[in-house]
Amino acid sequence: MPNKKLISIILGVMCFALTLGIVVQVRTIQNTNSTISQNQEANALRDEILKYKERYDNRFAQLEEAEKELEKEREEATKNNTELEQAQQQITEGNKLTGMTEVTGPGVIITLSDGTGIATSTLNPSQLIVHDLDVLSVVNELINAGAEAISINEQRWVFTTAISCRGNTIDINGERIGAPFVIKAIGLPEYLAGLERVGGYLELMRGQGVGVNLEKSNNITIPKYSGVINFEYLQNVER
Amino acid sequence: MIFIAILIGCILGAILGLNAPMISYTYSSYLAIAIIAALDSVFGGIASVVKKNFDLKIFISGFFGNAILAILLTILGQKLNVDIYLAAIVVFVWRMFMNLGTIRRYYVEKWSDIIKEKTAKQEKKKNNENDEKNIG
Repeated sequence: MPNKKLISIILGVMCFALTLGIVVQVRTIQNTNSTISQNQEANALRDEILKYKERYDNRFAQLEEAEKELEKEREEATKNNTELEQAQQQITEGNKLTGMTEVTGPGVIITLSDGTGIATSTLNPSQLIVHDLDVLSVVNELINAGAEAISINEQRWVFTTAISCRGNTIDINGERIGAPFVIKAIGLPEYLAGLERVGGYLELMRGQGVGVNLEKSNNITIPKYSGVINFEYLQNVER
Repeated sequence: MIFIAILIGCILGAILGLNAPMISYTYSSYLAIAIIAALDSVFGGIASVVKKNFDLKIFISGFFGNAILAILLTILGQKLNVDIYLAAIVVFVWRMFMNLGTIRRYYVEKWSDIIKEKTAKQEKKKNNENDEKNIG
């Protein structure tokens, strides 16, 4: 039997490792803030979803890093060649127009939230809810007022974006989005604020009991489109 | 001495754990089973100290061996779609209770011995005093 000092040091180190593991584990489980249900199948499914979400986040971070690297490589490769530099500028400009880059500028922020009125006291409770068509109409009016970039709850509006109904949420760019909807638009703020005109769509929605808020801002940041645009059938006409 | 070292280890571990980065959720089930294995080893170590047959090599190899085996079994179970980790948990918790029983028995016997000795001493003192009185 070794002396007591050695035993106590070894046991102390072991307990150190043990408590470290326990605390890290507890914090990890708390971070996922999932309640443990008694149903094993539900637990397994939740587990699976959390794992996939984590994998997705990791991949997304990798993709962003790779894109940055690509940008860097491109810049380096076109440094000493005017022709290529021009092509590079065209690519940058094209990306800006198609919504592939994060953009910033003056504009307006419109917030649409579900009405707080009591549903039973209204003739038609459906009026209190923000529908996909409401969002679509607001976006349409923004484009009409000269908006150059639009995002709905951080989903960039691009030319392939569809807004569709998904039960009590709506689908934008294939992502499920719920109320309240924060619509950001870059453009001349005075023009964009014209959406609040008498008889306009925002006033119509306000009359129905939906929460509508429009504010001008000089500094709006709109994220880039995170999906992939893939054309299969499109071809240029040969002349 | 041993318990002071354990206490210090626990406090340091908790402080470092609060500041350590979180692990990803995918690996948290492996860490959980490793924690159970380590807990079993620590209880086993204390029990062997109490029984006075503590062996450093056996203790350390058990600490790492059990944890690694448990993690490997969990991985195998996930591949085979069988919850093998349940068996590991049952064995570890069962051993934990056995070791806790050894520790408990040791201290209960120790303290009851001390109490017995004290009462015996007091009775002796009383008897002595009575004797002195009788003599006086």
